[in-house]
This record gives sequence, structure tokens and C-alpha cells, in this order.
Amino acid sequence: MKWRSKDLKQYLQAKEYIDTIMVPLVPFHLSNEQDMEKDSFRNEVLTVFSNEMEKELSGRMMLMPVYNYIKSTDMNVEKDRLNDWVEDIKVQPFKHIFFITFDSKWRKLEQELDGTLIWLPTVQTGDILSKELQSMIREQVKEITEFIRSYW
Amino acid sequence: MSDKKQQVSRRQFLNYTLTGVGGFMAAGLLVSPLRMAIDPVLKESSSGDLVNVGLSVDDITSEPQRVDWTVEQVDGWYESEPSRSAWVFKNDNGDIVALSPICTHLGCVVSWEGSEDYPNQFFCPCHDGRYEKDGTNVPGTPPLAPLPYYEHEVRDGILFLGNPISREGA
Ligand code: FES
Repeated sequence: MKWRSKDLKQYLQAKEYIDTIMVPLVPFHLSNEQDMEKDSFRNEVLTVFSNEMEKELSGRMMLMPVYNYIKSTDMNVEKDRLNDWVEDIKVQPFKHIFFITFDSKWRKLEQELDGTLIWLPTVQTGDILSKELQSMIREQVKEITEFIRSYW
Repeated sequence: MSDKKQQVSRRQFLNYTLTGVGGFMAAGLLVSPLRMAIDPVLKESSSGDLVNVGLSVDDITSEPQRVDWTVEQVDGWYESEPSRSAWVFKNDNGDIVALSPICTHLGCVVSWEGSEDYPNQFFCPCHDGRYEKDGTNVPGTPPLAPLPYYEHEVRDGILFLGNPISREGA
């Protein structure tokens, strides 16, 4: 499920079944022209990716709104803000929190995050609608699904 | 003096327009379900349309296989969910069966033989829901209804699928 009214209505009636959260972490900027295309493309891929994940596991996992931050930011500040999100989420009986991202900077902070980091290796820029990319995403979705299930 | 007066009236003007737009949008929201019902152009494009899912009938065996395809949606401004999936196989009578993979419990995607412990069944990874091969839910597991099946048609040896049709609980 997603953070939208129709799903939350369902959530409130079936809380005991939905114990997992996924938060996409996406850096944003318009200041570095060299990286603009690459970073925005990753954003597109991650959107498709997290939506597909949500579809596979929608009866047990809720996909949060994207956590955006400025790419050149102080990551320690972001880490604290992100943990604030988790603190709020945990008011509800969620047991498993996953963060999903292409941004390798989070890896250094992994230990301090109040949840499990799923870091996806880089994708080359390309066509989001291409068959290759779609089948790559499907493969990855399968793998990550397995990974998340291992926590259940 | 006149300058000030002008500013006030400009603000008022903006206020009017904004309320106007807001009111218009509210009216739009109220009207649209009705329009949807009567205006065929606005209806979901998928209703009744069968879609080529890119699978030749010769490739359909008694072993369920997953096919994914996309449907074109007219409701462009609202986030549509254009990708669909089905488990397709031939049953004992040789008839083609296309089942929706969406678990009738809370909507996760089920897999054929998704658990080693339950061969010959569809398995839902979320709360261990199970279904027989024909889609009937296994009593004692969370789902209370069978998997929906897709309306289907074969044209020139190619499988076309339409909308999923829900079934009554077992
Ligand atoms: S969503 Fe399939 S068993 Fe709960």
C-alpha cells in the first residue's frame, strides 16, 4: 500500500497484517549540470522500482512518500531527519523499516540508521521504457522481495 | 492615494479569481463521476478491450507461467497503474486458464509453487495465503476468495486477455 487515503483506510482495518515500511531516499539538485541527467534518471528508475516493489508486497508493506534531500547536503543532518521520520512511523506497530536508494553516501551511515538500508548499484542512463531496463528492474524486484521476506 | 486604491482592487481581483478557480475545481470533482458514467470517451479504456499479451497459444503448457503486459489508460493525469500480470496455463481439459496473481487477502502478488512446502499451489509471500491450481483459496489460510480469472480470447494463435473477474469465496 501507499500513503494515500484509500490504502490508509484499509491499513486502519488490517493493521496487524502490515508490518513493513519502505522509504525511497532520493537526492535532488539543479546545481551540478554534469550530474543532472544522471541523478534525475536514477530518480525515475527508483520510482518505477519502488512502485513495483509496492505492488508485489502491497498487502504487507507500505511505501512511504519519497525522502528528498539536497545532494550536497550534510548527511549527518539528513540522517537525523530521516530517523525522525522513523520515530513517527513507529508510533504504529511497524516492525521492519527499509530504506532504498542509489545514493552510496548512505552506506557510511548505515549503522546509525533506524532501519535497513537497501543500496542499489548504479544504473546507466538510458530509456526508462526500454525492454532491457524493464527486465533488469523485474529481476531486481524479485531479488529484493526475497531479501525483505527473509526478515519476515 | 489612487495607487493604493488600485492595489486593493487588484488584490480583490486576485481573490475573486482564485475563489473562482477553486469553486470551479470543486464543481469538477463533483461532476466527474457522473460524467464518467455517461460519457463513453471518459470511461476506462481497458473495459471490454482485450489486449495482446505477447504469448503464443503453443507456448502455453500445463505449468503456470507468469505473463506481464501493460494496458493503455486514458486517465492520464492521475497516476495510472498500467502494468498487469497473469498466471497462464492449460487445465486438465486443455482449456486455457489465466488467473490474476493479486492475492484476495490484502493484494500481494502470488507465485506458482512460491513455497517449497506447498507444491502444486499458488503461494502468497505476505501472510502465507494459498490457492489450488484452479485458483480456489485453501481454507485455513488468510484469503477468503479464489483468485480472479481474466477473460480471454485466442486470435490467430495469440492470447488476448481482458479484465479480471472476481469469484465468490470458497
Ligand atoms: S496478502 Fe496474500 S495472504 Fe495476505
